[in-house]
Amino acid sequence: MAIRANPRLIEDLERFGAEDVSKCYHCGNCSAACPFSEEPFIFPRRTMRHLQMGAESRLRSTLSPWLCYYCGECSDQCPRGAEPGETMMSLRRWLSSQYDFTGIARWMYRSWKNQLLAILIIAVLTCIGMLTYGYTWGGGNIAVYDGPGAFLPDGPIHIFDWIMGGALGALLAINCVRMWYFLMRGDTARPVSIGAYIRNAALLPLHFFTQKRYSQCSNKQPWVMHLMIMLGYTTMLVLIVFFLGAMQEGPEIDWRVHIFGYLASIGLVVALTWALRGRLKKLLTYQKKTHHTDWAFLGLLIYLTLTGIVQHILHRTGLPMAANIAYVVHMMGVVSFEATQVPFSKWSHLAYRPLAMFYAKLQKDAWAAGVETYGKAQLPAATVAAD
Amino acid sequence: MAEERIGVYVCMCGTNIAKVVDVDSVAEEMKDLQGVAIARSYKYMCSNPGQQMIVDDIKEHGLTRVVVSACSPRMHENTFRKALERGGVNPYMLEMANIREQCSWIHADALAATAKAKDLVRGAVQRVKYHEALDTRSVPMCPATLVLGGGIAGLTTTLELADSGQQVYLVERAGHLGGNVARIDLTAPYLDSARDILKDRIARVMRHQNVRVLLQSELLELKGFIGNFKPKVVTPVGEEELEVGSVVVCTGYKEFDAGRIKPYGYGTLPDVITSFELEAMLRKGNVVTKSGKRPRYVTILHCVGSRSPEYHGYCSRVCCMTGLKYANEIKSAIPEAYVSDLYIDMHAFGKGCEEFYKKTAEDTHSMFLMYAKGQHPSIRLAGPNDDASMIINLKEQLSGEDLEIPSDLVVLLVGMEAREDADKVGRLVNISRDKDGWFIESHPKLDPVATTTDGIFIAGACSSPKDIPDSVAQARAAVARILAKISQGKIAVDAVYSEVEDELCSGCRICNTVCPYGAIEYDAEKKKSLINSAVCKACGCCVVACPSGAIKARHFTDEQVYAQIEALL
Repeated sequence: MAIRANPRLIEDLERFGAEDVSKCYHCGNCSAACPFSEEPFIFPRRTMRHLQMGAESRLRSTLSPWLCYYCGECSDQCPRGAEPGETMMSLRRWLSSQYDFTGIARWMYRSWKNQLLAILIIAVLTCIGMLTYGYTWGGGNIAVYDGPGAFLPDGPIHIFDWIMGGALGALLAINCVRMWYFLMRGDTARPVSIGAYIRNAALLPLHFFTQKRYSQCSNKQPWVMHLMIMLGYTTMLVLIVFFLGAMQEGPEIDWRVHIFGYLASIGLVVALTWALRGRLKKLLTYQKKTHHTDWAFLGLLIYLTLTGIVQHILHRTGLPMAANIAYVVHMMGVVSFEATQVPFSKWSHLAYRPLAMFYAKLQKDAWAAGVETYGKAQLPAATVAAD
Repeated sequence: MAEERIGVYVCMCGTNIAKVVDVDSVAEEMKDLQGVAIARSYKYMCSNPGQQMIVDDIKEHGLTRVVVSACSPRMHENTFRKALERGGVNPYMLEMANIREQCSWIHADALAATAKAKDLVRGAVQRVKYHEALDTRSVPMCPATLVLGGGIAGLTTTLELADSGQQVYLVERAGHLGGNVARIDLTAPYLDSARDILKDRIARVMRHQNVRVLLQSELLELKGFIGNFKPKVVTPVGEEELEVGSVVVCTGYKEFDAGRIKPYGYGTLPDVITSFELEAMLRKGNVVTKSGKRPRYVTILHCVGSRSPEYHGYCSRVCCMTGLKYANEIKSAIPEAYVSDLYIDMHAFGKGCEEFYKKTAEDTHSMFLMYAKGQHPSIRLAGPNDDASMIINLKEQLSGEDLEIPSDLVVLLVGMEAREDADKVGRLVNISRDKDGWFIESHPKLDPVATTTDGIFIAGACSSPKDIPDSVAQARAAVARILAKISQGKIAVDAVYSEVEDELCSGCRICNTVCPYGAIEYDAEKKKSLINSAVCKACGCCVVACPSGAIKARHFTDEQVYAQIEALL
């Protein structure tokens, strides 16, 4: 079955960060250098080729970009400066926008202006919404932070958090279903039994919490950094979603809750500073090129970490009015971050990565069974060439 | 005969000969032959001491004839002839016995090889006894040159010769100069304008005092020989006979007929065009489809008619860079267009070409798709739901995928082939063609612009596909060869040629037809054939063909050959 070439694809991917694909002349050094490239997922050369020939349908159903952690070995080895690592990174962005059914991800990925506009609009709406809430249904007095008459009582905010979390979670879930459809029902996917899904289900939490595969890269730094950001963020998310009341009460500190918050905050500040410094100084290969969505992600995350800390300090040191203002400023960042990053941008890979590991294992097992039964030569060409 | 004193020299050629042939015993045995005054062996006869040995022996021993048994006469016959001359003996009193290529190099049995060497040398000794003293002659060299074809090679040849002060006749069949270069827009890889390359050259040729440009003219007949050609040219005002010393053939190429490859649909699909049709659009600055729309998807298809067993096996050499040039030109004319480039191999061998390839890939974001030799893509009309007017089916080699490429305009990079009239031109100027119809060089590496006919040169794409730099280089090379001859002022004619003995010639004209060099003319008045010694190469065909035995080949007389054969047997 012939596949349709999309001559526009190379230029499209350029907007996602893949600027140097055309330089590749297929020596294959990148695939040889890649520690993760193994049957049946040989990359980046094959992926580069599919991109060069506009084989959109092949790329949409490929797992390879998700198996790459951008250690940079391939880009360092490339004799043409074709940046295969950056191409795989750009393909992850492109794939995220393909999984997203709303088109918002694509809209924000392709233009930094759109991304910035989305963040600003949500931030301003959040500000207006919180002040309106404070002056109408809330305490009405911005000088009161906690207790009776609090300007922003935590109850309704907690409910708003739950609603927003549910909506964003649902969007992400739909995108995840689309991801499953492209990868496990695509034209080159091998059939997988329900039993296999169940047997391998434990891989999902394993990869989510440990990022196990990332730890196999020769340079462990990026893995530690990513794990700290991910665990810090997840800890804060759990605290806010389930223990918002305890955090907003005062003036006493509830150590059973706050100790986690302090640890997570320290972790986030350290890891984010580490990450931002690396990108600003272009220390590692993967930090040499930074897409606007990377800046937005790191920028928003450090913003909401720092404003959260300021808010906490102001609250605990008895400056309720300043604490309320800091809270609004903090929430402007939080809502922008969640709404733009979780289902539509960089943070969505928190879901896509473990899912990809899970699907890769299923596909690899199915491929190996096929090889065992038929021998590699007898496998249908499309199946061998899948990734 | 008894007073002849022959010197025999057996060369060891280092160990090339001596390791198989016992050279001393060869020399020793020759001493006993009648007429041999001296016989020696030496390590390197071609060395200065070796040559000097011959010169000294001539003086000391009064040698009148010399046999050198060494390598092939093609290698050193001239060397030893000059040695004889220095010794005061006519150079044609030399005979060489080839005991290297024809003996030591091809035999392992030393005894048998030595016996064979003795036979060969004995044959040479018997032959040299019948050698006659011959005189070399010379004929005057006419400094004017006839250039056939006004393309880039012809223009360059003309200008170079004219600038050096020589008369040039430039004959061009068309009504204007410029050839195929005049049909193209930009040149690869530097994207210079072809118009700029030509404009100045044509203007200078047209007003040059040493040049006569004959447009809409053709060569009708070429008589004569090097230094003394008499071409007859037909011009719009009538026939004219010129006098020239050299002829440079710069007749160029024609493009492959794309209609021959049916799956490409050239001639039936409206928006499948050839490279020259695209050049015309680019020159007009208006790249559009037949329906007048700006194409969104443009496909460039390489190797059309080239590198294929059904059409031409050779590579046309210019299409790869032309394809890259089009990618740049199309992107610059239609920035929103997407270019696909379908190739077999990307040959980017010339100066600046690999860099051009890389830069084009980066700048134009073309899709470079590879197909295999013999697996031609096919082009068909698209369906109503496609966003292009045509679909190209291709088995892509680097991925193994069957690919469909949308296309609004397909450009076929048609290869070069020999012109239809190449056969006629070849006969007129007496040069031969290879299996593809291209004119053949005298030597493909060492003598690429000369032909097997003295005084006839070839330059540019008439001998094989060439780009502009190569054509220009060849034109200048041909000019260098011609100026060298002009500066000598005369043409040395080898003393070895055939002669007709008038009394024996019956005027049957059989020899006229067998001569491969066109050296024999028929004197209708005397009813005798006449050999032009300047053109004759002494091949001997006429000697064999003559039923009356009226033709004698100088230096290859019956007595000489029979004596040699007798000694060998």
